[in-house]
Amino acid sequence: MADPVLAARGMTKLFGSNEVLRNIDFEVIAGRNIALCGENGAGKSTLIKLMTGIYTPSAGHVLLDGEPVIFAGPKEAIAAGIAVVHQEFSTISALTVAENVFLEKEPRDRLGLVDRRRLRRDCADLLQQLGIDLDPDTPLERLSVAEAQMVEIAKALRSRARVLILDEPTAVLSHREIDHLFRILRDLRNQGMGLVYVSHRLDEIFEVCTDICVLKDGDVTSAGPIEDYDHDRVVAAMVGRRLGELFPPKSGPATGAAPVLSLRDLKVEGSAASVDLDLRPGEIVGLSGLVGSGRTELALAIFGAARGAGTVALSGANYRKRTPGRSLAGGLAMLTEDRKANGLFPDASVAWNFAASTLGKGARALALSPRDEEERSRSVVERFSVVVDHVGQPISALSGGNQQKVLIGRLLENAPKILLLDEPTRGVDVATKAEIYRTLRRLARDGVAILVISSELIEVVGLCDRVHVMRDGAFVAELLGDAITEDGIMAVAAAATGGGMRPSHD
Amino acid sequence: MTDFARAVRFQTVHLAIIGLIAAIFMVGVFASDRFVTVLNIANVQDQLVALALVALAQTVVILSGGIDLSFAGLLGLLSVLFATFAGSDPATFAAAYVGILVLGTAIGAITGGIVAFSGIHPLIVTLATSTIMAGAALLHTKQPSGSVPIFFEDIVYARFFDFLPWGTLFVIAAYLLVGFVLWRTRFGIRVYAIGDDERAATISGVPVRLTKVLIYALSGFIVALAAIYLVGRFGVGDPRAGIGFDLRSITPVIVGGTLLAGGRGGVLGTFLAVILLALLANVLNFLNVSNFYLWIVEGVIIVVAVSLFVVRARS
Repeated sequence: MADPVLAARGMTKLFGSNEVLRNIDFEVIAGRNIALCGENGAGKSTLIKLMTGIYTPSAGHVLLDGEPVIFAGPKEAIAAGIAVVHQEFSTISALTVAENVFLEKEPRDRLGLVDRRRLRRDCADLLQQLGIDLDPDTPLERLSVAEAQMVEIAKALRSRARVLILDEPTAVLSHREIDHLFRILRDLRNQGMGLVYVSHRLDEIFEVCTDICVLKDGDVTSAGPIEDYDHDRVVAAMVGRRLGELFPPKSGPATGAAPVLSLRDLKVEGSAASVDLDLRPGEIVGLSGLVGSGRTELALAIFGAARGAGTVALSGANYRKRTPGRSLAGGLAMLTEDRKANGLFPDASVAWNFAASTLGKGARALALSPRDEEERSRSVVERFSVVVDHVGQPISALSGGNQQKVLIGRLLENAPKILLLDEPTRGVDVATKAEIYRTLRRLARDGVAILVISSELIEVVGLCDRVHVMRDGAFVAELLGDAITEDGIMAVAAAATGGGMRPSHD
Repeated sequence: MTDFARAVRFQTVHLAIIGLIAAIFMVGVFASDRFVTVLNIANVQDQLVALALVALAQTVVILSGGIDLSFAGLLGLLSVLFATFAGSDPATFAAAYVGILVLGTAIGAITGGIVAFSGIHPLIVTLATSTIMAGAALLHTKQPSGSVPIFFEDIVYARFFDFLPWGTLFVIAAYLLVGFVLWRTRFGIRVYAIGDDERAATISGVPVRLTKVLIYALSGFIVALAAIYLVGRFGVGDPRAGIGFDLRSITPVIVGGTLLAGGRGGVLGTFLAVILLALLANVLNFLNVSNFYLWIVEGVIIVVAVSLFVVRARS
């Protein structure tokens, strides 16, 4: 194998007495794409920051073309040809594509004025070189998230780069958009660039990467060419156990009991099709389908957060004039897909977040009881082993998995009979996922009816007793028992659209 | 055309304002035969110069996601100081002129520095600085006082072809210049970047704090020009000259389509909105409607304009 362009040798990083990385060796080779995977907290971001001058190593060093270098800051790393696309977007929607790509590096004429013509031309050249079909003059706000991501990549590559590091670049992209991104990454690789792809989406890694390096708790647990790996081996290296062990045993579909939730001809606003569904106590039903098939909209319509025509009945009683408040009061709770946009108050404390939708329980007359809030939130923190210093901490300081645990704990505080969960494990590490799965199964056994929307096929397959596959707002298939397989779901979900559905196993 | 691409995005707004201007103009024509006279046309322009300048300053600040409520105090202080030191000969006048511009810019820069480094909301910071300066102006003189050289008053009141005052040309030049700065300088791109998304701008390496200092300094500079103009028009420095200009400077910005949240808009909309408001005041005057109705009408225009933008943004 060729010599690495960029490498870390014996990299160790301590934060206080906490050893975040131990003696890591990592290599980026021109013309290859190495996946850096691991659970949240495994040390991926720390390693990237050490190699790009954001952190200084406690021990070990960075090699550039085999020579030891010390980057005093990110600017020096960029100057050395190391480009990073961070998870956080840095594009600005009020500016045009060209202004974004060359922000703070705008070409200027002799008078120091921004040379608009050259700005446009340079940007067009760069986009063409990257195979990105965008007009430099388009304002970013007119672009899709995926196109903004392309702009982000172009921005990282505006000055000559030899190494491109992408930190979870596909978190917000749809499948077709991911395909486009991958085409660009393959082109860059063929042009001789060295790529690092940080992700925990295994299917993407297998599709686009040539090598893999797995971190767990600050150690490299496994590394090598991607051909030597399959999903199971990667997961085992990431969490120390195999995929199948993540899911608790199923209890099988509940046929006897009367449904607690019934939908008849429920039609979501903007959809042509309607659905019928019965949800019984004790079962976990999955809603599968491509993004945009209407799953989230359906759940929101049931919950009363979106409009829908048709009948919803709770334990046989017609439920009209649906609102989130009335749903909660009636024992119907929902966990939304995007916890940052809906349902979470990022700057408020864990206790406050916890209390936000459970007010009244601890309140006497009209007064709230902060102490009661704290006590109840503390009990959830213990029950779900949320990693937190104290419940007065802002919830944004918690990892995604821990935030999700607080939100699930909050849902359960009202003792709902029906749970609607939209992507309950998004952005959550594998260990926490397993915990969430166990919690859901326990709830089902206690008689709660659960509807799970998930884009992760492995999750639907492993968790659900029954799966409805959605397409264009309609249920196109119901799968039971052994018929619930990834292939089975994919075949139905993608049948008419022709789009490939990528199962996700993270 | 592309040189004004960012403004063009609000074309419908501009068209709406132009339509309103035309409508109000027609009302004026029917209201009085003294409306379309050289004297009245020039009069309307005299009325709008100071407002146009402070609204221009406010546009840049609001584009960057900030707000500047210091104009009331700043205009008062700068005008009494200018009238005190302008004297009667060109030399003292020139010195006072430059001195006031420097002072206005410096006060703006200090305000910007407090906004940038303290993290206190600009609303609070600029209200405080406005109060401080209003107090200082009144300590200096309670009554309108001081003077400017006759030649300066002559310039302020001079008109080309009887209907085009110097002030109008000056305003047009100022708007073109600021528009150019916003479009062709790195500073201009930074203003929009900070106004739209300060976090993303910071990650992208935009020197956010420096830019904020410069923005408020520019605002102070433009307001100093307005103060000098007001002194020239009234012949004296009035510590109360700026009263009302803090909020009145915001109206044309919002009506002109610049988003109060920052990042979207431009100077063209503000310019048209200033004309609209000045014309409205003038026509209401011809209709013998009390000035207080103008306040009510202005308030309604703000609410309607903002609601329209909100509706547009949602759709």
